[in-house]
Amino acid sequence: MEEIRRVIAPYERILLLGCGTCMTVCGAGGEHEVSFLHSALRVAQARSSDGIHSFLEYTVKRQCDFEFLDLLVDKVNEADAILSLGCGIGVQVLAERFPDVPVLPGVNTSFMGMTKEWGVWDERCAACGDCRLAETAGICPITRCTKGILNGPCAGTKNGKCEANKDMDCAWVLIYKRLEKLQQLEKMRRYYPPRNFRVIPRPRRIVIKADVEQGEDNG
Amino acid sequence: MNVGNKSYSESRLERSPDHSLMPPCQFACPLHMEIGAYVDLVAQGKIMEALQVIRDGNPFPSICAYVCTHPCEDACRRGQVDKPIAIRALKRFAVEFGGDRMIGAEAETKHEEKVAIVGSGPAGLACAYYLRKLGYPVTIFEAYTKLGGMLRVGIPQYRLPREVVDTEVQRLVNMGVEIKANTRIISLDLLFDIGYKAVFITVGAHQSLRMGIDGEESPGVIDGATFLREVNLGLKPSLGEEVAVVGGGNVAMDAARAAVRLDAKKVSILYRRTRQEMPADPREIEQALEEGIDIVYLVAPTRIKRENGRLNVTCVRMELGEPDGSGRQRPIPIKDSEFSEEFDTLIAAIGQAPRTPSDFGVRLGRGSTIQVDPITLTTNRAGVFAGGDAVTGPATVTQALASGRQAAFRIDDYLQHTYPLVNKEAEKTLSGELLPKTVEMIKKIERVEPPSLALEARAKDFGTVELVYGWEEAINEARRCLRCGMGAEILFQDKCATCLTCLRICPYHVPYLDKGGTIQIPPDQCQACGICVAECPAKAIVLRKPYDRRHVDEELEHALKSAAESKSKPLIIGFCCQYGLFGTGALASLWRESKAGIWIVPVLCVAKLEEGHILRAFEMGGEGVFIAGCGEQCSRENTAFWVLQRVEKVRRALFQIGLEPERLQTFNLRASEGDAAEALDNFIGLIGRLCLASVIKQEVRS
Repeated sequence: MEEIRRVIAPYERILLLGCGTCMTVCGAGGEHEVSFLHSALRVAQARSSDGIHSFLEYTVKRQCDFEFLDLLVDKVNEADAILSLGCGIGVQVLAERFPDVPVLPGVNTSFMGMTKEWGVWDERCAACGDCRLAETAGICPITRCTKGILNGPCAGTKNGKCEANKDMDCAWVLIYKRLEKLQQLEKMRRYYPPRNFRVIPRPRRIVIKADVEQGEDNG
Repeated sequence: MNVGNKSYSESRLERSPDHSLMPPCQFACPLHMEIGAYVDLVAQGKIMEALQVIRDGNPFPSICAYVCTHPCEDACRRGQVDKPIAIRALKRFAVEFGGDRMIGAEAETKHEEKVAIVGSGPAGLACAYYLRKLGYPVTIFEAYTKLGGMLRVGIPQYRLPREVVDTEVQRLVNMGVEIKANTRIISLDLLFDIGYKAVFITVGAHQSLRMGIDGEESPGVIDGATFLREVNLGLKPSLGEEVAVVGGGNVAMDAARAAVRLDAKKVSILYRRTRQEMPADPREIEQALEEGIDIVYLVAPTRIKRENGRLNVTCVRMELGEPDGSGRQRPIPIKDSEFSEEFDTLIAAIGQAPRTPSDFGVRLGRGSTIQVDPITLTTNRAGVFAGGDAVTGPATVTQALASGRQAAFRIDDYLQHTYPLVNKEAEKTLSGELLPKTVEMIKKIERVEPPSLALEARAKDFGTVELVYGWEEAINEARRCLRCGMGAEILFQDKCATCLTCLRICPYHVPYLDKGGTIQIPPDQCQACGICVAECPAKAIVLRKPYDRRHVDEELEHALKSAAESKSKPLIIGFCCQYGLFGTGALASLWRESKAGIWIVPVLCVAKLEEGHILRAFEMGGEGVFIAGCGEQCSRENTAFWVLQRVEKVRRALFQIGLEPERLQTFNLRASEGDAAEALDNFIGLIGRLCLASVIKQEVRS
């Protein structure tokens, strides 16, 4: 909150922009959270003398597509800055679509995860581009093991829990138990060489579009 | 939700929730009264508003409050959980405490066409009421000296005090209805000759059916309708000591209970089937039994002989055979089971039929009832309409009122040469059973029965047996309502991200994921607690009616506006449960007495309160905010849990803003929190200290 107030301080008219897809599902940046942030910012403003802002809130279906953002042109024209409650992707797509308007992040996008139960989310994927789930019985050691080791468990496992946090399951014990159930324990005996730790050249891009020449004669 | 939320309010203008779902109680009511709405208003202690809703749907609520057979209660889905809501008793409470007697009725004449109403029973009175409201000159013709039909001569006084009928008749007179009592209409031609343009026949069903047995004509044998008429007109028929009543309907119960009040020593009811098949209202049967009436089942009289001034009645025992046309098992006499008993009087109450003068020239159907078109209520004669018991055979007061109302509007159509819109829009009924998983989660709350007159006091006179609820009893009973059809609806399907929050948090396990992967909130299961409405991350859900989040917004803005004009410091906003005792102001008045500037925002269950509302109170200068739920009285599940969740979230935000989280408190959400008044005093003290501290801090800084 303090961070948000600091980043918006220079601007007067601020568009609080939510995202109606993933950010809504994870309860971080849907219309409800936009409204909550809006209310909280207004309280902060009413209670202190620093900065006078006017806020407009809106939630767009998805911030990561230009086509949805095109619908916002009028609202963005009215704003001195956009505070995005989208993920890091949303912030950047907004910045690309609206080159003249400062775009500020309203959330710290943390991880890709799942809803464990209402109000509890767990990380599940690191988007490492080197998926090992076939060998690890569908349980990712990169995200779910504190050390992210490929040949576990380490000596820090105790009663199925991790030494770093005794409330946290040891990923490798989970993997072992599940492989046992699937009668694939031989996968535990194999040695997995270290991952490719070379710096992945970024930004990554996936192209599924084939390089076909476009033209009138190609029919 | 608050002022700046454009995306919500924009979509809001385009769509509104589906209001067409009729709850089962409303559908079962012949008048389709908005029962859910007035029960909810009673639960909030808003008796005047409840009465207004009742009056909108019923011309004579005070009469129904006494005698309605409440088909609504039979349809009430609370019956699947424990027992139905005592709807009629709640109506009686609203009528008595809301001051129905004081309400006047006005009408001005807008049309020239005069309408004659033949008969002044509930159908005739209702028809007169609505025709008068529509602006027609109306005359009621009544054969007896006083108006009311069966309300006057059929229903005993202990069930319907005569002042109630008098009040309603007087209201009609005040509205300008012309009354011609002691006037029996023999022919309709004369009415048309003297200028009436339409006639509504509602002569009731006063003719008792005959038993068709030997000795029926003997002195000492009287029919139920005649007996009740004599009693109700103030005659005291002499009955002797032992009285038998034949029949199992409400008239039989009324006759037997009237006999008890006329000093008969022993009253027996002879009924040819069993209690299960008895058409009388179960509560009437119970009260009859309470009053010492002996009900003999599976017995029918076959012969009556008058000997030595008494009646020797031969009866035969019955057994139940195959179901008959009415769906009930047909009673069959058991061979050689005859027996005799002696009585002083025998009252035959086995049914009644209309007796419409043949000179009326209207076509009659089965059981001498008048044949009408069920939608227009027209008879075979132009300009002649008919309704009430004369058309249906003996039925209920509420059915008669509905028939009278229908007749008024169809007569209006006829006189204005418009055609009724048939089936203009079939109302959707919310039906279906509650699922076991839902029923399981609904809190069981015992039905509060209205008090009855003490047994000793009853037999002595014709005083009203059923008494009216006290304030607290009525509110507690009304709070049991499950609010069928008022539940949550995903209004903005396009906003719904199918995050499954509603499915995960619903205390009643109502939302589900359909096979296509869309979330559904079945309206017939939803309990309208509002938790998913407040928690939906996409704000896609609203409550169907009538109290969605706008209600809290409006109340809050109203309080803030008033607070801005007040000088009392520090300003404290309290969100308080509007239901139950909070609604009646018991605790609210306590808070009004305290020193600080406390403003109460009534909330229809604190579970509907959102974080935004709380923050808004701080934004508008609230130094402290408290939330007071109704604690143990709450008829809902998980209320406290969700309030505390939201409170924690707001407290975190307050802390980040630089306000002390203690400025937000909850009272009485759990029993363990103790005395609310003391907690509030402490809270006021705390807020005072925090305000002082912040002033000092600012001084130091500057």
